[in-house]
Amino acid sequence: MSTVLESGAPLVKKANRLQSTKLNNKMVNAYWEDLFRAKEQGKLVCWTEGIQLNPILQAADIAWCHGEAAAALLAARKESAAPQAHMETLGYDRELCSYARTHIGCGVMNQASTVEAQTLLDVDARTLGSRIPEPDMIISAYPFCSTGQQWDNELYRTFGKKVPIYNISMDWVWGNKGSSAYMSGPEYREKVAFLKRQLEDCVRFIEGITGKRYDWDRLSEIMTYTKRAAELRLEAMKLCKARPSPASFFEWTNSIAPVNFLPGGPEIVHYFEQKKAEIEARIAQGIGTVPVEKYRLWWDGIMNWNKIGWLSDKFAGYDACMVAGRYTHMGFWQEPQVIDVRDPLDGMAQNYLTCPISISAPQVIDKIVEHCEFYEIDGLILHAARTCRAFSYPQHMIADAVGKRLGLPVAMFEGDMVDESFYKDEMVNSRVEAMLEAIDASRARRR
Amino acid sequence: MQIAGPLKSLAKGLPGASVCLGRPQPVGTSQMNPILETLRSVAEQPYQRAIEAKQRGQRVVGTLPMHCPAELIHAAGALPVLVQELPDPITSGGGVLPPFFCGFTRSFVDQVTEGKIAFLDAILFVDHCVQLLSAADVVRVARPETTIHFHQLIASVEQPWSLDNSVKTLRTFVEDLEELYGISISEDDLRRSIRLFNENRQLIRQLYDLRRSGAIDLSSTQMQAVIKSSMVMDKAEHTAMLRDLLPMLQTAGPAKVRKLPLYVSGHMCHAPRPEILALIEECGFSIVDDDLYHGYRYVSTDVDEAIGDPIVGLATAYLTKNRNAPCPTRIAPSVEMSEWLLQRVQASQARGLIVLLAKFCEPHYFQYPRIKQQFEQHNLSHLLVETEHEGVPLENLRTKVESFAEMIKRQG
Amino acid sequence: MQRYAMGIDFGSTTAKVVILDAEGEVAGSAISQKGAVSDEGVRVAQAEALQQAGITQADVARVVSTGYGRRMLDIADRTITEITCHARGAVALVPEARVVIDIGGQDSKVIAIDANGLVARFAMNDRCAAGTGKFLEVLARAVNIELEQMGGIALAATETVNITSMCATFAETEVISLLAEGVTKPVVLAAVHQSIANRTVGLVARVGKRDPVVMTGGVAQNVAAVHYLQKALDTQLIIPDGAQLAGALGAALFALDDLQLDDAERRKVQQGDDDLDDLAAPQSCAPACAAKQAKPIVFKPHATTTAQPTEATHGRA
Repeated sequence: MSTVLESGAPLVKKANRLQSTKLNNKMVNAYWEDLFRAKEQGKLVCWTEGIQLNPILQAADIAWCHGEAAAALLAARKESAAPQAHMETLGYDRELCSYARTHIGCGVMNQASTVEAQTLLDVDARTLGSRIPEPDMIISAYPFCSTGQQWDNELYRTFGKKVPIYNISMDWVWGNKGSSAYMSGPEYREKVAFLKRQLEDCVRFIEGITGKRYDWDRLSEIMTYTKRAAELRLEAMKLCKARPSPASFFEWTNSIAPVNFLPGGPEIVHYFEQKKAEIEARIAQGIGTVPVEKYRLWWDGIMNWNKIGWLSDKFAGYDACMVAGRYTHMGFWQEPQVIDVRDPLDGMAQNYLTCPISISAPQVIDKIVEHCEFYEIDGLILHAARTCRAFSYPQHMIADAVGKRLGLPVAMFEGDMVDESFYKDEMVNSRVEAMLEAIDASRARRR
Repeated sequence: MQIAGPLKSLAKGLPGASVCLGRPQPVGTSQMNPILETLRSVAEQPYQRAIEAKQRGQRVVGTLPMHCPAELIHAAGALPVLVQELPDPITSGGGVLPPFFCGFTRSFVDQVTEGKIAFLDAILFVDHCVQLLSAADVVRVARPETTIHFHQLIASVEQPWSLDNSVKTLRTFVEDLEELYGISISEDDLRRSIRLFNENRQLIRQLYDLRRSGAIDLSSTQMQAVIKSSMVMDKAEHTAMLRDLLPMLQTAGPAKVRKLPLYVSGHMCHAPRPEILALIEECGFSIVDDDLYHGYRYVSTDVDEAIGDPIVGLATAYLTKNRNAPCPTRIAPSVEMSEWLLQRVQASQARGLIVLLAKFCEPHYFQYPRIKQQFEQHNLSHLLVETEHEGVPLENLRTKVESFAEMIKRQG
Repeated sequence: MQRYAMGIDFGSTTAKVVILDAEGEVAGSAISQKGAVSDEGVRVAQAEALQQAGITQADVARVVSTGYGRRMLDIADRTITEITCHARGAVALVPEARVVIDIGGQDSKVIAIDANGLVARFAMNDRCAAGTGKFLEVLARAVNIELEQMGGIALAATETVNITSMCATFAETEVISLLAEGVTKPVVLAAVHQSIANRTVGLVARVGKRDPVVMTGGVAQNVAAVHYLQKALDTQLIIPDGAQLAGALGAALFALDDLQLDDAERRKVQQGDDDLDDLAAPQSCAPACAAKQAKPIVFKPHATTTAQPTEATHGRA
């Protein structure tokens, strides 16, 4: 493996980022600016995390703050330290989910009137975290991860139990019987039906707060755009089977917003049309997202939001393209075909229950193996986010399976979504390099 | 002037050397009380009796903490065994579940991969905790021959559908058991089991009342053994032993020395190492009450036998339990755990609270800041002690607990 | 005959002794660089303190021991933890102290003092050595510098880097990497001290920060540690003369309290007596201890103290 270059000026290899990602950034900025002004605009605000509940809220003209998105934003803008520090002062342990710590920290900063803020904290109203408008309602809909559900309820307590909260129970499909399979079987159908009933009841909760009849037609309209955007996104992703890959996991990470928390409308469809077109153009010209593609890798685990750009360039420097990953390729409206836009709740419920942390480990492993075969992956990066147990728990088993079934080497290291103190550069470097050496060695053996 | 050697005999133990291992140290009357001695040995080797029962051809079913209604398993004619954290070092399990999981789940996974609980016919669990779900999921990938079934009791206990949903879940649980053994479980079977479990809980609660009032001398490690043995052995046998134990303890009378009363909270899934409890008592405290899982949590709530349908009775008890002993994995907007804890500590007349927080227990991490705030606002001293599977450095702990005792005594 | 009270702080890296006369004045004190691994350190410190006081052990009527090795000393009449003793000693040195930060060889502790001069809350590091003197020792080795020189060199740094590791072992790896990348020693050492400050701030948050903040313990002699801690806490630290002796002083004061009880009461506060009924007798003059500070505490200089000037206010009694 030659990342060591010949004498002379060192060549810094950087990722060749898609132009269309800029459009994503524009839309994301506009979304946040809009949210910061929501109260001025007389809008109600909902705080929620986990699944993409936003189409349901958007149809009722409610603005939303998606917790993970807020935490990721702060991490990317290097502003996550403040809310995290406030939380530590209050006694929340650092091993607790860093998304929760960051987001609740925002809640704490927002609550200038709380006893905590007055006596202990030095809240700077100009910082990003404290600009997020306080909620008029909290809707909890967290699949699999009990910490997420507890996070929502901790927010409820942070706001003095004065903000109405609606708790949706997202059942985990264990698959007790042989009749259980991915997206089928009586257990699955029963749990989808239960979730759908709760979503309907949640709409009644929303009506209770807005005082207006829910606009189901509007939901259908929003879901039409969302479904189309999701389809285009999946098509564009599949095109990355090409060699060299025209886009990387890091770019897909940078465009989760349109299928995660941006409003559903023509813009998100347009975004993925652009993205797909740019990808098709690159394929036609044989342009890859990294200057030299010697290795095709899979990123397993949740993303490290503090370091996307940096990681992207790091792997470009290793002549490695991170082609795909569990977080992006197995989540966020990943099964759009089951959504009937005229009556979308069932299809939405199915998507919610099949997100990557909500399916069982055997199914996760099967899907990863499928993807690795499809994208012709040479090795896996397993980013074990220390405070996200929901995502990291199956990683030893994933490593085991891809080793046994596909003969692929892995590089595993600890990190975190938004708390960079858990991440150690040196360890990452040595493990990644060891893996790339293993790939080289196995290629040499095959010749 | 010659200073004579100032050091005590080092046989007393070097500071810093001891990290606690799995050897409980009974204090008090257990050497003289054969029942307590039996319960202690059951607690020390928690699977021994179940293994012997299995060898005799009995059905044995494992459960995971926290809320599994083991009455259902009992009604199926099987011995329910609540999986315990073992003090054994994590070995092969470390290659299956990452290390940043709580001690219980790491131990559980390791027990499976090391074949220590292979004697169980099946494992059934009901709880909503991401770490438990994760542990069970990797276990079935790593050891697919393990029979594990999951019937999740709804965590959100104040919804209009909470009762119906719970009832439905428990009926599925029963069906599963019936299928596992090719049997039929009748309502009468369920009622008999419920009655037995209720009696067992009542007797243990009596022990709590007696201990709280100072009428008996029962150390915290002994109390732990009482509950842990109830979790893993034949319930009728355990109940009979308790019936005999109570009058014995009452006759033996109160503790000779009345020490600083203390309340211990936390460890909501697995038992704190007995050495930790013993050390706390050595440092001048008497633990008068607790809400440990291997403690009051396990016995707080009976099933209302007046409810005709026993499954509805069990589901109702499940929902009610959260008011009697709020669990941080349950979603109950009207319940405030820190307020409940404050009231309990005040009612016990303890002079202080020690919170035993198992490292990586996220539900507890969420609750602790409010507990801290509540106790500081009400001028009730508390000490946070974080524990890990690998053990706690006992010298460090001794200094903290001794300082805590000194602090409380000097506050008058 | 004069009766003296002796306090022994038998720490992991040093042994400290303070002798008070019946009026509560310091008759003698000493610090020995050998800690709880052997009894040599205690013997040396005891001898030196007695010599300074011009007395013999027979003149000492009561001994209280504290610190890591407190239970190893036959000579002690009773033992009290270093938290209680450091708090007592710090309040004796700085009566208005509200928070005491003690960073020693093996552990670090922060103590909140209430209006009566008593321990209100405390926090200690857990099993990890990061944020303690041990951390500095490990890293001094990694950087190949004498421990005593670390502080001075760190203060010379003109830029900053971050050491993100919370673990002493990992921090060592990080330090070596930084040096290999060409980062200068002052900058690396500055980062190390910054790291300690960060850890300590976390402990302070647990007990609640209130001024004035007093620092005791060996690391209080490290100029860089003090500098970064003051910055991180945004407060002036008070480092009294004899800060390192705060624990032994506190122990000696408790010994003095015991001398003022009559024989029967003194037996009740003997080591091991936890009986609440017996403890109905005054444990010590606790609530009144602030008033007892009639005489200022002045230590005579000793050969074994490392007396480096610090940025913070010192010399207050």
